Amino acid sequence: MSSYLELNFRILYWLLVGPFRKQPLRLNHIFQQIIRIGVEALPMSCLTAFSIGLTLAMQASHELGKLGANMYVPNLVAVSLLRELGPLLIGVIVIGRSGSAVTAELGTMRVSEEIEALGVMAINPVRFLVVPRFIAMLIMLPVLTIFGNYLGMVGGWSICHFALDMNTAGYIMRSVEATRLSDLYSGLCKSFVFAWLIITIACHAGLRVEGGAEGVGIATTQSVVHSLVAILMANAVLTGLFFFF
Amino acid sequence: MTTQERITTVENPGAEGEPVIEVQNLFKKLGGRMVTNGVSFKVYRGDTMIIMGGSGCGKSTLLRQIIGSIKPTSGSIKIFGEEITDMNEAEMGRISKRFGMLFQSGALLQSMTVGENVALPLLEHSDVDEEIAELVVKMKLELVGLTGFEDLKPSEISGGMKKRVALARALALDPELLFSDEPTSGLDPVMTAVVDQLTQDLTRKLGMTAVVVTHDMTSAFRIGTKMIMLGTGQMQGKIIAEGTPQEILKNPDPMLQQFIKGEADGPIPLRLSKGDYLKRLLGTN
Repeated sequence: MSSYLELNFRILYWLLVGPFRKQPLRLNHIFQQIIRIGVEALPMSCLTAFSIGLTLAMQASHELGKLGANMYVPNLVAVSLLRELGPLLIGVIVIGRSGSAVTAELGTMRVSEEIEALGVMAINPVRFLVVPRFIAMLIMLPVLTIFGNYLGMVGGWSICHFALDMNTAGYIMRSVEATRLSDLYSGLCKSFVFAWLIITIACHAGLRVEGGAEGVGIATTQSVVHSLVAILMANAVLTGLFFFF
Repeated sequence: MTTQERITTVENPGAEGEPVIEVQNLFKKLGGRMVTNGVSFKVYRGDTMIIMGGSGCGKSTLLRQIIGSIKPTSGSIKIFGEEITDMNEAEMGRISKRFGMLFQSGALLQSMTVGENVALPLLEHSDVDEEIAELVVKMKLELVGLTGFEDLKPSEISGGMKKRVALARALALDPELLFSDEPTSGLDPVMTAVVDQLTQDLTRKLGMTAVVVTHDMTSAFRIGTKMIMLGTGQMQGKIIAEGTPQEILKNPDPMLQQFIKGEADGPIPLRLSKGDYLKRLLGTN
């Protein structure tokens, strides 16, 4: 735990203090990571969000239909996606796709002496390897969440429109009525916290790999499990905060 | 040319002034085993110090302590007259910029091209713009016979070529001191001679100091001006022989002579004796 906290402090140091000590952030590295962590995860995230929106609308219609309240399906889909499912599901997708890849990549670099070589060249591995990934994740997870929310709403609309004979304007109107701007912000706030947890846990696991290919495998599994537990717990805490305050 | 004839041509430009590296009474314990055991030596400017010894004798661990990658259990290491064992990361970084290190595996960054790997120390530690860096990269790659390979990824070149790229990267900042861990393993004989010639030119003509860990005795006697041999078994991690190449050749230590001549039979404890083998196999005393 202490080494995890130390990594967080080091990231903040290189992010906030480093640029003023002639150790600037390399923008091309950040853009590379934005593409690898975020842009390449976009199709998978959108597909997952679309299918969740679709499923959510069908399940809601199944129960609400018994009460003759199918008109509330858009409300349920919108609120669920914006507040909870959007950030959480996209977080889970990013853990599986990008978090595990970061751990495996850094772990392999450690095993093949690349990280040691950076140290010997007086290039701090946290500044050079972790900070660009950290910035990329903090930017791209909220962006993916916004895309996910949108595609999830489209999934819900497709059920409402084609199966429940609801017109598009009605779907949009009910969705907008059901949600507040704070719902969107709370979801984005969650995805920002999830991004921090996912990337720091992934990098921490990767930088501590010992023992070759087996070690990389163990670290990747641990990274995924720890990230999942961390974002589920953080989700509960944040939901509590937004609920009570 | 015999080994004896070759080494008579080697001059020793060092042994003057302050030592570039001074290791004193160095100990390192790893997993309950003493892998560096009271090692002391000095390396002067222009010297090529060869560290040799059997597999697992602690050569690479010794090198890693000298470059500051791992901390020794006790003892002193001075580089350029400064004690490095108690240095923090920033202080060590200041020293690291003055030396280059060639890792056994090359340790190239796989996500970068050959050219980007060689340019990395330049772009990180000097104010040169990218055009100048590109020019320096071409010069360094030419030194190791890899002109035109700038745009390839490390995964697209052979193991020997990776090692040469790593050497070009280690030389990118024109270091005063070069550490090499098995620089010629995986290279063909011609390229081995080229790398040896390069090391000799850098040390003799430009006054660079080199510390080379190697098993390659031909290469060691070709470039070395000083040699130490680390022992195995009972002598694990201790210096069992030290001197110039001529002194090493004359040293009667049977372990040293077996190693230099590359003989299968001798005092180096690689295999159990027949009696010990049977005892261990049958679990009897």
